[in-house]
Amino acid sequence: MITFNKINLRNILILLSPIFINACSGSLDLKESIAFESTYAPDLSVTTLITNAKIIDGTGADTFNGSICIDQGKIKKILSNNILYDKIEAVDINCKYTNKIDAKNRFVTPGIIDVHSHLGNYPSPSISAHNDGNEITSPITSEVYAEHGVWPQDPGFDEALKGGVTTLHILPGSANLFGGRGVTLRNYPSRTVQGMKFPEAPYTLKMACGENPKRVYGERGGPGSRMGNFAGYRQNWIRAQEYQEKRNSNRLNTSRDLQLETLADVLDGKILVQMHCYRADEMAQILDLAKEFDYKVTTFHHAVEAYKISDILRENDTCAAMWADWYGFKMESYDGILENIPFVHQAGACAMIHSDSDSGIQRLNQEVAKSWAHGNRAGLNIKKEEAWTWLTSNPAKALGILDQTGTLETGKRADIIIWSADPFTTYSRPEKVFLDGQLLYDKHNNIYPRSDFRLGYGVK
Amino acid sequence: MIRIFIYSFIIFIFLINYSAYAKDLLITNAKLVIDTKTFKENLESNEKLPTDYTNNIHENITIYQSVRAGSDKTITVFFKGIEADYIKDMLGDTDYVIKDAEGNWVTSGIFAPYSHLGMADIGGEELTNDISSPGSSTTISEKASDSFNPQSVFVANNRRHGVTHAVISPTAAGNSVFAGTGSIVSLTGKYNSVIKERAFVFAQLGEKGTQNSGGSRSASLLQLKEGLNTALCNDFRNCRNSLERAINNININSSISNSESEYLIRVTRGNIPLIISVERAIDIIKVINLKKTFKRLDIIILGASEAWKVAEQIAENNIKVMIDPHNNLPSSFETVDSSLKNIIILDKAGVDYAITNLSALGLQGIGTLTQHAGNAVANGLEWHKAFAAITSTPASWFNLSLINNSLVIWDGDPLNITSTPTSMFIDGHAQSLESRQTLLRDRYNPVNESEKEHKYR
Repeated sequence: MITFNKINLRNILILLSPIFINACSGSLDLKESIAFESTYAPDLSVTTLITNAKIIDGTGADTFNGSICIDQGKIKKILSNNILYDKIEAVDINCKYTNKIDAKNRFVTPGIIDVHSHLGNYPSPSISAHNDGNEITSPITSEVYAEHGVWPQDPGFDEALKGGVTTLHILPGSANLFGGRGVTLRNYPSRTVQGMKFPEAPYTLKMACGENPKRVYGERGGPGSRMGNFAGYRQNWIRAQEYQEKRNSNRLNTSRDLQLETLADVLDGKILVQMHCYRADEMAQILDLAKEFDYKVTTFHHAVEAYKISDILRENDTCAAMWADWYGFKMESYDGILENIPFVHQAGACAMIHSDSDSGIQRLNQEVAKSWAHGNRAGLNIKKEEAWTWLTSNPAKALGILDQTGTLETGKRADIIIWSADPFTTYSRPEKVFLDGQLLYDKHNNIYPRSDFRLGYGVK
Repeated sequence: MIRIFIYSFIIFIFLINYSAYAKDLLITNAKLVIDTKTFKENLESNEKLPTDYTNNIHENITIYQSVRAGSDKTITVFFKGIEADYIKDMLGDTDYVIKDAEGNWVTSGIFAPYSHLGMADIGGEELTNDISSPGSSTTISEKASDSFNPQSVFVANNRRHGVTHAVISPTAAGNSVFAGTGSIVSLTGKYNSVIKERAFVFAQLGEKGTQNSGGSRSASLLQLKEGLNTALCNDFRNCRNSLERAINNININSSISNSESEYLIRVTRGNIPLIISVERAIDIIKVINLKKTFKRLDIIILGASEAWKVAEQIAENNIKVMIDPHNNLPSSFETVDSSLKNIIILDKAGVDYAITNLSALGLQGIGTLTQHAGNAVANGLEWHKAFAAITSTPASWFNLSLINNSLVIWDGDPLNITSTPTSMFIDGHAQSLESRQTLLRDRYNPVNESEKEHKYR
C-alpha cells in the first residue's frame, strides 16, 4: 500500500518503496569468479502428458488445440490438432507418460516471467530488518549482488507461484546510479538462494535514472540533479573502460575490483543492463550514453513514457518493461497512459509487463489483459496471443533466457500453467503450475509450497 | 389496460412534478445490474415477477430517470416487458435524452469506499499533497472536502473507469490517532461536487496508530477512548470545567481538546460513522468492545486483514468492514493472517462489507476497484455481492442512493478486467470520459496519422 503522509514520507521514499528505489545489477567472469553457483535441482522423474489443451504457446502464434509431452523436465513434443477436441486423445503423440492430465479444453500457457521483482530482498513482512534491496550508502554500488539480500522464505514467492510465475528477476533498488547485480531465479521452493538460481542465466546490472538517485543523494554529496546523474554514469564508465583495458592486457596481475568488474563485464557484453527510467527524453539520452561507452541497454524498467519514444526503442533494440496502470505517484510518472504496452508493441519494439510488486506479481495475466483491451479500444488490432508475449517470451528475451523458457516449444524447459479458463479474464486462475515438468502447485489437490514463516499462524 | 393506465399515470406525474434542470434520461435495451431490493422497489412491469431473484442481472430493461436540481429528488423507474416505443409515446414531447444501451450492461456508478482522490497532485511532492497535516494542531475538525480539488487530473482519469462517487479521507499524522473528518464527492469535476462535507470521522489504530500516539497500542486505544469520552461528556453539557471533567474521569491532559471533540459528537450520537483502520484480530475485538461503552457508534473497520478470524463477533455487533480482497500476504506482523478467504468468511457470517483497493496505489488507483471486486468473484464470492460491495453497499452507509445519482453503460461485464464504460451519467448529466490520459493517448497513438510534430497535435 502506498499512501503519502508527510510525516513519514522520507521513510516511505527511501526505505520502503521499491517503486521509488529500484536499481539493478550484474556480472560473472566465469574464469575469475565462479561463486554462488546454482544448485537448482528440480525433480525430473515424472513424464507427463497433457491432452485436450487450448495452447497459447508464447510465440505469438494463434491458440491451438493439442497435447504436450513432458519428459526429463523438457517439452519433448507438442502436437497440434485441427480436429475436434473430443477426438484429440485418439491421436498418438507417442509419449510414454507416467502421469496423464486431461486439460478438458482449459488454456495452457508458458509459465509467467516477471522481469522486475523484489521478492526476497524486500520480503514480507515488510519490516526494517527486511530492507535488503538497496545499498543506500553510495550512488555507485555495482559491487553488490541482489542475491545476497534475497530471503528464500519470503511468503511472496509462494503466492507468486499460485499466480503462475515460474521465473523471476530480482533487482537491487533504484536509489543508486549503479545499484548492483540482479539475479534471475526459478520460483522453486528452496532453502537457499543457490537452489533457486536460474542455471547459467546471465547476470544483470541495475541502473537508475531520474528522481530517485538525485533525491537520495542530493544532500549526501550528490548527485543532486539529473546533470549529476549523467556525470556519475560517465565518470564510472570511464573507470570501467580503464579497468577493462587493464584486465584484457594483463589479467593475471590485475587485482580484482568488484565494483569495476561488474561494469567491465557489461562492456564485455556478459552482463545485461536493466535500467530504471521513466521519462522519454531521459531514456533517449541514456541510449546515447550507451553509444558513447559502447554498451547495450537491454531493458528500460517502469518506462512510463516509453510510448512517446517507441520508434527510438525499436531502432536501438531496447526493450521496455511497463505497468498496466501505475502512474502519477511522482512527477516522472505523471504521464502514464493505459495503452503504454500496446503502443510500444505496435511500433515494433519489445514490450513487456512487469510487477515491481508482491501483490501485482500474483495477477500479471490480468495486467496484460487490461492493457491489451485498452490498446485495441484505442484502434489497434493486437491478438491475444501477441499480447501473451508481454508475459513470457519478451521478459525471457530481456533476461537472456529465451532459448530455455518463455515459450512452449520442443526442447525448452517445461514451465507450464494450466488455467481454469481464458487467462484474459479476471475469473481465470492457474489450476496447475509446472516448473521443469515438476508439478509445484495444484489448486484442487492441495499441492502448494508454504514458507517457514507461515508456520504457527492461522493461514494454512 | 388498467396497467397501461397506471404507467401513463406514473409518467404523467413525472411530467407535472419534475421539470428538470438536467434533462431526464431514457435508457433503452439495457442489461441492468442492480440489487434485488432496489430493483423491486423501482420496477414497473406488466410481467408477473419471478418470486425468487437469484441474481440481479436483468435483460431488456428500459430505465427512466427524472432528475431535479437536488439529487435526492431523483426518481428512477425500471420497465420490464414494456416496449420502449410505448414509453416514448407516453413521454410525448417531454425534454429528455434517449440512449440505446444496445443490450449492454448498465449499472449505477462505482462508489469508492476509501480514497484520497483530489487531495494531492503528486503524492511524492509534499507541497502538492494535502492528505495529512502533521504540523497542524487540529485534527478531527479538519475536513477532507477542504483539501479536495475537483479538477485534479485524477478525477477525470478515474471517472473513465466508471467511478462516479468516492469517499475521500485524510490520514492520521502528527500526535493523533484521529485523521480528521472525511467527505463524499462525486466525480463530475465541477466545483459543487462535494456531496457531504462531514460524512464520517476517521481514526487509525494498529501499527499506524501506535506511531501517532506515543508508541503503543495501549496509548492509541486510550487516546481514541478519551476523544469519544470527551465528546459524550460535552454532548450532555455537564462536564465543561476541569473539576467536572475529573469527576467524569476525563483526562485533563487529553490530547483531544474540548473544541476538537465537539466534532465527534455526531459520531458518539451515531449520526455519522466512525471509520477505524485496524488489521489484527485482537485489535478488531478491542474496536468491537468500544460499543459496550459507546453504544450508538456506527463503526466501519478499514483494512481488517484478520477479520475472518472474528467474523461472527463483527456480524453480531453490526460492525461494517472495508477490505481489499487482494490482500493475502503477511505484509506486517499485524496482518500475518491476511487471506483471500477473508471476504468469503465475512460474507458467510453475514457481515456488511465493502471492497477497497488498499493494496493498489491509493491516491489515483480507485479505477481498479472493479478488478479487486472481480478477483473476489474469482476466489468464490457471488458476483452480485462483489458488485454491491463497490456500489450500493458502501453508498448506503453514507445514505447515498447511488442508482438515483448515476448510471453507467459498459462494453462488457463491469467486473471483468477487459471491460470499460462507454457512457456515464451523474445526476442526469452526461459525463465526459476523456481525461488527461486519453489526450496523451490520442497524441501518441500509433494510428494517429498526423504529420505534425507532437506538440502541435
